[in-house]
Amino acid sequence: MREVKEIEIRSPADTMKMRPWPVTPPPSREEVAKVYARRKAEEFGKFIEDNLGFEHIYEKPEALQGLKVLDVGIWRIGNAFASSLLAELGAEVIKVEPPTGDPMRQLTPFGREEYMIADNKTGQPCGLDFIAEMRNKYSITLNLETPEGREIYKKLAAHADVIIENYPPGQFDEWGIGYRQISRFNPRVIYCWVGILGQWGPMKDKVSKHGQWMLDPFGQAACSFIHNTGFPQDLLPRGAGGDPTRSGVWIADYVAGEQAAVNILAALYYRDEFSGKGQFIEVTSAEALMDILDFDISWYGFNRSIKARTGGWDPNLNQYAWNPCKDGYMMIGGQTDRLWYRICQCIERELPQFGRLITEDPFLKEIAARNAFEALVKTYTLTTMWLRANTRAQTEKKLMEYDVAAGPIMTIDEVAEFPHFKYRPWVSLIEDDNYGTLMYAVPPHAFQHRTPARVKWMGRPLGYDNSEIYGRYLGLGNEQLRQLKEKGVI
Amino acid sequence: MCDIIWCRKCNTVNYLDPYYFWNWEGKTKCAECGTVYYIHMIQGFMYRGPEERPGEEPDILPLYADKPYEGYARYMPGTEGRTRPYQCTPRDIYLGKPDPVKFSIRGKPVRGWAPQPPSTGVLGSYGWKWDIEKLSPDVWQEYQEKIKRGEVSDW
Amino acid sequence: MEAVKREVCLEDLPGPKSQGELEEMKVPYEEYCRKLFAPGREFEKPESLKGIRWLSCTMYIFTPHSVANLAELGAEVIKIEVPRMGEPMRHTSPFNEVYLYPMHDSRPMTGTGFGYMNANPNKYNITLDYHRPEAQEVFYRLVKISDGLTECYRPGTFDRWKQSYRYVQEINPRFIYVWGGGFGYGPKAFGASYDILGQAHAGLASTTGFHEDFGGHPAKHSNWVIDWYSGTQITVAILAALNWRRKTGLGTMIEFSQVQAATRCLGYGVPLYHRFGIVRQRWGNWDTQLCVHGIILCGKSDYPDEKNPQLKYDARYVMVSAFQDEDFKELCAVINRKDLFDKYHTHKQRLAPEAQMEIYKALEEWAADKTRSEVAKTLSDAGILAMPVMNDKEVYECEHYRQRGTIRWLEDPTFGDVLVQGGYSCGLMSETPRRVKWIWRTLGADNVKIYHDLLGYPMSQLQEWYEKGII
Repeated sequence: MREVKEIEIRSPADTMKMRPWPVTPPPSREEVAKVYARRKAEEFGKFIEDNLGFEHIYEKPEALQGLKVLDVGIWRIGNAFASSLLAELGAEVIKVEPPTGDPMRQLTPFGREEYMIADNKTGQPCGLDFIAEMRNKYSITLNLETPEGREIYKKLAAHADVIIENYPPGQFDEWGIGYRQISRFNPRVIYCWVGILGQWGPMKDKVSKHGQWMLDPFGQAACSFIHNTGFPQDLLPRGAGGDPTRSGVWIADYVAGEQAAVNILAALYYRDEFSGKGQFIEVTSAEALMDILDFDISWYGFNRSIKARTGGWDPNLNQYAWNPCKDGYMMIGGQTDRLWYRICQCIERELPQFGRLITEDPFLKEIAARNAFEALVKTYTLTTMWLRANTRAQTEKKLMEYDVAAGPIMTIDEVAEFPHFKYRPWVSLIEDDNYGTLMYAVPPHAFQHRTPARVKWMGRPLGYDNSEIYGRYLGLGNEQLRQLKEKGVI
Repeated sequence: MCDIIWCRKCNTVNYLDPYYFWNWEGKTKCAECGTVYYIHMIQGFMYRGPEERPGEEPDILPLYADKPYEGYARYMPGTEGRTRPYQCTPRDIYLGKPDPVKFSIRGKPVRGWAPQPPSTGVLGSYGWKWDIEKLSPDVWQEYQEKIKRGEVSDW
Repeated sequence: MEAVKREVCLEDLPGPKSQGELEEMKVPYEEYCRKLFAPGREFEKPESLKGIRWLSCTMYIFTPHSVANLAELGAEVIKIEVPRMGEPMRHTSPFNEVYLYPMHDSRPMTGTGFGYMNANPNKYNITLDYHRPEAQEVFYRLVKISDGLTECYRPGTFDRWKQSYRYVQEINPRFIYVWGGGFGYGPKAFGASYDILGQAHAGLASTTGFHEDFGGHPAKHSNWVIDWYSGTQITVAILAALNWRRKTGLGTMIEFSQVQAATRCLGYGVPLYHRFGIVRQRWGNWDTQLCVHGIILCGKSDYPDEKNPQLKYDARYVMVSAFQDEDFKELCAVINRKDLFDKYHTHKQRLAPEAQMEIYKALEEWAADKTRSEVAKTLSDAGILAMPVMNDKEVYECEHYRQRGTIRWLEDPTFGDVLVQGGYSCGLMSETPRRVKWIWRTLGADNVKIYHDLLGYPMSQLQEWYEKGII
């Protein structure tokens, strides 16, 4: 029996305690070996776990060891995610922040300071989005608005293999520290600008009259992603979800960030293998997301179709959707006849009407015809009649018996406790020197034979690494740094 | 009864789609005979209803209805007065079958129609040229006329 | 030691070194970028991954996309598919409407659906049935002449066919082997995954869509965004592995879970739960960390007379952003609600849920008698950031993307005139730009090229395999 503790709750603050993780231990290797054995993959499974397992990552070298990266970006996830990916793979990433810090440090859900964490050195509260993307990065401060700050920046840039920057179009060029100037004295530099719409062109990035930056979801809005996402007004009233809907996260920025990393690494390969020279790269959130909107724009070029929203359903496939169930939402997928009828069999067992109305309906016998909208309405109405009496766990178990892909919509606490996810693990804890114990999403590149990605620290107090970095690269002593600080340069 | 209304008067099944009706209270109408039913749904279960409400106006219509005893004869979404409209479609016409396109929207040929004449080499291997002039002379001809009529553009 | 004689050398000084360089430094920045990236002239420049050859034993979107990135960057990619049938995405098309023909001469009425688009550009296409014993030697020969492979079969399947990393590293130690799938090793190793399952399982869906209290449900990210997004992250891993191999000569194996990649983008949600027990919920079209920074509904459509319902009914949404104090003040003045600024003059006050509800309601009331473009224009003229939520037609017609070359028409060698939205749009590169050479090849189009020209098998052998259905 687990011990039950009485907790007295007098205010919301009493509930805001660190959560234990994992609450229950993950399955053991022996139990998982049995899963492999059922598919005759015991030996292979063992090979993978022995050679690619998470517990070995810190024993192995890092793929990008020695690569020096400056991330001179603020406000956005695009540049931050790009440099995170490089940092997780071993690059030395120096985040250059204005003396007031990246404004993202101040961002916190609903403005609630109680959701921020103060570091144990400066006591400054910092937002969690910033901490989550500040993995393995150094923080230095530098005021690029001062001529002296820009001179220092040039000296730093001379050491850089990669510079990732995201200031408004032309700003760095005007300051004399853009690609055009830096490539003169550091021709090997790979310089990547990550923005929302572009640094040139008729619809390039703007700042407001008062200097406010453009942030995601502008990128999502400009490429038709938002128009295509959300429930149709015919399935939910407008204003209550039946509207074009943005992603809950700044997804266009994430997509731009990873494409920036791809382009940077390709340019690095070309530089080191062939040319010895760097280049200028520009990645935008709107375009990078447009790249992966399936075939939508091409479809318009084919017959003037404009993709419409379909909520939790998919217009191309049946079944391939999530629908509400007893304790949340359940995703069920299986469109080929083989899988479709297996789903039918599973549901009919408990809901004979499903057989009468779905399995026997001649209009639903043919795979392509099942994708028609009216077929989706009918199929999912009946499927939900079954789902409403079943929990996510029950549904998953029942459908897995029929080898049908099924997955619950899980909230973040459930993700953290899902057996498979804590076994690998998906999220993990790190004891950070500055911010204490933090949970983080494990980089999906962590499962590699030779050079797995890893997280070494999370978050960094503002300017924490000034002495080290300025000392190491510029030979500046602490006295000089103090003077620069007094002048407002760092 | 649950989240279909199987109308006993006319044996029509009215489908109450899961999202709109998951938590919902109000009146809806049978697509076939027009009987107005009051329903109250909580978490997908019909907590009250369907209760007939003669003489009252419905709040909303079902999206789709069919008659399993009559060969699944059906009312498609957007049948006036019977089912509610479905506007979230990519065009005003819904095909549901391959659109045999011969020209892109800017008027240049694209192989969007079937059948195509056999054109591959050994073992299905395919070269690097669509010899439209030889393979589909009629489309080529039409293309020339389109050019003359100025129906081909850069964008 | 002899003292080094130092002279001031022109090359060592900062600044332009020649008249030409001086001119270049004076060019306005926008013009400079346009000239440097030179959209439309990509083919005059080299490719960054030239010489890399990759095998793509992939299906659907996730893994094909990881290799498509390589192909756009100049790698030679050979995609292997099931003979006669091809992979499932060839048979996927929106509303069953959009196909390009032929797929293969043996099936004249079957085309390749647009589902295949963007995930398979520039790839050579061959067919091979791995189940057959004859296939094994062919496969090994391909491995010997390639740099790496990406596959997406259920874990252990390639191992059973003696094609897994355990076997191929023996014959080619430089080989980079990638497995991409839903879950990876662990208790749910054999769980199948799709894009939508990834969104659900990873926690992303629980944060997208309108809040329950407003009548909303979790909304699916449109398209197969998470499949694509995860695929690109595989490419990051591959390129890093290539970098390591340049130094050490050693290949590797990468096991990549698509569902996990979707958890990776949850931002503050993960630490927030652990540290404070707060589980992030959905917040619709508003932002949890910035206000005003959301999408509002306007009263009138921009195209009331168009037939297409997407234009007629849905060209009504505007993205508005005015979270800094001065911007918010300006916004309140424009909508004649200065009282809102008095009430919520700090960002912290504006961000409270009740405040957001009041502010966005006021914005929508103001926009209730206006069209989308009126709203966007009024706000932009006042110096506030605002933009219509664009649809596919507007994206196609947008001059910005045309000038930047990120949407363009391609004369595909096989299929003719196709509008291309991918490849060029995932980043401009000044020296080694990405490019799209063809959208895809017909099934087995390059069998002769690869098996005969490259691997040297005689034609009679190919003929025999073809008749037996091995290729």
